[in-house]
Amino acid sequence: MRNVDLTAEGMPRKKTSELREVFRHLVRNRAAVVGLTIIGLFVVVSVFAPVFATHDPLAANLGNRLQPPSREHLLGTDELGRDLLSRMFYGGRISLNIGIISVLIGVLIGVPIGAVSGYFGGKLDIITQRFIDIMIAFPGILLAIVVVTVLGVGVENVMIATGIASVPIYARLVRGSVLSIKEQSYVAAARAAGLGDVRIIFRQILPNCLAPIIVQSTFQIATSILWAAGLGFLGLGAQAPTPEWGAILSNGRAYIRTAHHLTTYPGLAILLMVLGFNLVGDGLRDALDPKTRS
Amino acid sequence: MRNSQRTYLFGLVIVSMIALAASPLFATGTAETAAVRDTLTIAIGAEPESLDPVKMTSAPAATVGEHVVERLIYMEEDGSLTPMLATSWSANEDSTVWTFQIRQGVTFHDGTPLNAEAVRMNLTRFVDPEVGAAYAFLLGSVQEIRTTGEYTLEITLGQPFAPILSHLSHSFIGIVSPRQIENLGPADTFENPVGTGPYVMDRWSRGDSIRLSLNENYWGDTPRIPNLVFNFIPEESARIVALETGEADAIMAVPPQDVPRLQRDPNIDVVFQSSVRTIYIGFNNVREPFDNPLVRRALNHAVDKQAIVDSIFDGNAFVLDAPVVDAVFGHASVGPFEYDPDLARELLAEAGFPDGLSMSLHHPTGRYPLDATVAAAVQSMLAEVGVDARLETREWTSYLQFTGQPPEQAEYDSYLLGWGTVTLDSDYGLYALLHTRQWNPDGNNRSFYSNERVDELLDAARIETNPDVRTETYAEAMQLIWDDAPWIFLYSAGQINAVRSNVEGLIHHPLENLSAWDAYFVD
Repeated sequence: MRNVDLTAEGMPRKKTSELREVFRHLVRNRAAVVGLTIIGLFVVVSVFAPVFATHDPLAANLGNRLQPPSREHLLGTDELGRDLLSRMFYGGRISLNIGIISVLIGVLIGVPIGAVSGYFGGKLDIITQRFIDIMIAFPGILLAIVVVTVLGVGVENVMIATGIASVPIYARLVRGSVLSIKEQSYVAAARAAGLGDVRIIFRQILPNCLAPIIVQSTFQIATSILWAAGLGFLGLGAQAPTPEWGAILSNGRAYIRTAHHLTTYPGLAILLMVLGFNLVGDGLRDALDPKTRS
Repeated sequence: MRNSQRTYLFGLVIVSMIALAASPLFATGTAETAAVRDTLTIAIGAEPESLDPVKMTSAPAATVGEHVVERLIYMEEDGSLTPMLATSWSANEDSTVWTFQIRQGVTFHDGTPLNAEAVRMNLTRFVDPEVGAAYAFLLGSVQEIRTTGEYTLEITLGQPFAPILSHLSHSFIGIVSPRQIENLGPADTFENPVGTGPYVMDRWSRGDSIRLSLNENYWGDTPRIPNLVFNFIPEESARIVALETGEADAIMAVPPQDVPRLQRDPNIDVVFQSSVRTIYIGFNNVREPFDNPLVRRALNHAVDKQAIVDSIFDGNAFVLDAPVVDAVFGHASVGPFEYDPDLARELLAEAGFPDGLSMSLHHPTGRYPLDATVAAAVQSMLAEVGVDARLETREWTSYLQFTGQPPEQAEYDSYLLGWGTVTLDSDYGLYALLHTRQWNPDGNNRSFYSNERVDELLDAARIETNPDVRTETYAEAMQLIWDDAPWIFLYSAGQINAVRSNVEGLIHHPLENLSAWDAYFVD
């Protein structure tokens, strides 16, 4: 384990070079660059969806339904005659939002639980971990379905549900890291110097868990987007007319033989976005690991 | 690496699950060879909620049930009434005492003979308030049911009840073996009915299928196909693939957009049949702001019904001009509400909502053809006039419960529902849905509509025996209902079924039943 960059005075300078180092390794990884490009593209079209969208994503035109791709509608129209491409742009916003916010929820709840559990150990650890065991016993998507059933459907609740479903992953991950880090001599030194538990956790231990948290979060964004699409597909996520990709895919299912563009494009979009985050996650993990780096 | 592999794997699984669910390929089946054509398979979209006549509430239940359990009178495709388990009937002068001759020489599937006593037990159970059959109103105000001979049954009514004969043709008034019900408590039910029909219950695999086998001792013409299977395939595209691969010989409820493709297939015949079902969006008439008729009328003007019919149903539907379709006795053309968004905005402003309003719009998914699509289309049309409708959907059985609450517990502003007036008499279409006495949870008036004059008219038409007077009474009631606009009156969609061309003789009934007792295979 590296601990050179953790001395209070050495931190700012070392951190910058560390970041640069990580980035340098990341861009040397071709797969990661592909991933970054994909994510970048999605972020741009999502942020500027109102600019790129050629039509109102909610404006129905029944006389123009189920049209195949054309110059007017580049990806065709859906079952209510809405422009699919414009809906996809706005849908990207929803998926990215869900991915990021649910990961924030997972991190904010899961990391402290894992840190406290690992650091203090003993009965607290045993009890916490049994609860985590119970949560892990449920497949994430199932846990998310349970949470949505309790909270009700809708985009916000999907964020909360996928966030909660990722809590045990973070708790387990951080606890493992904390267990090994707390045995390090610099932690013992900090304790000997009279630092309180809270300060030790936040100043000495958690910064050292950042690498796995970042890597996990990148993967988790991908997973959350998939879960959200799954929930949308099942009708438990975003409600009509919200142009969420999973919901578009689900509605298009009925027309798969007559208007396949309604399932093909949202399916591809989900696939690409998830692939992008996974590639970047892989790259980040390698870049953050000094062993693979050297 | 493990972590990312897991994520990849998980991603792969989810994507392939979605792909599988979306793909029609998963419903592959092998076509049966000509040598073993002893089974006819019909794929329907919904599973019967029950086959116990007092618990049945839906057309799918009626379709399966009528092959096993028969009623006193049968309604032909043209609406005429013909003898089934009753061979003849007559009434006294003021139509309060009805005498039925029960068919002789008929036995139930368990060997019990059919007689007047068996019918009496069934009808008594049907109207028993403790049993609480939701369709008990079908028999009007029954005072007494008694046998006056081995094969003679007498029903005494408190007052004349004009539609009683067509109501007795309703699939839910089925006659099952007395042995099956003699020891049942009021709340008890049974799964496999023992009737007198051409087919016998064989096996009910929940969530999958119901198998029926031939009744060798059937009193009528014995069917030519020995086995009958009803498969439940809710997914429309999967149902179509089942037909194309020969896994199913006939399917119900083909979505209009697939019709041209199926018509090009030389092995498949597409069958169009009218329907007596009306589709509407009921308002919660006791909840603000929907207690204001101006608001209800405004929303009727805001929905372009013709566009729904033309575009979503490719013309295979028509816009409602009354609360019942025109094949129903008593129908009077009193509509439709013209599509006029400007007028809708004006009416909303007049009602005190110049900036529009927001509401919940509940709808089923997959129960009626394209129901969710229609709900979404209505939502976008309402948005045009400033009404923000929040779509909410539920699985069918929980949907029925949700919209079946008493007024103080009803949590909906509006709900999409359909109603088939299967007795072809306006009493069934109006009384059950719009009379104050039929408010939830005791009846089917889920919109809590109440108009004293309408109640009076509906009551009067029930006991009036002169058809001309009844027609006038219903015409007045329909006009009042139309002006009150308790629902958004939408459309009636025609039925579209599809059958493999080597099957003949299926009856595609306007009551949304698909009957197989006359069916046979051709080579």
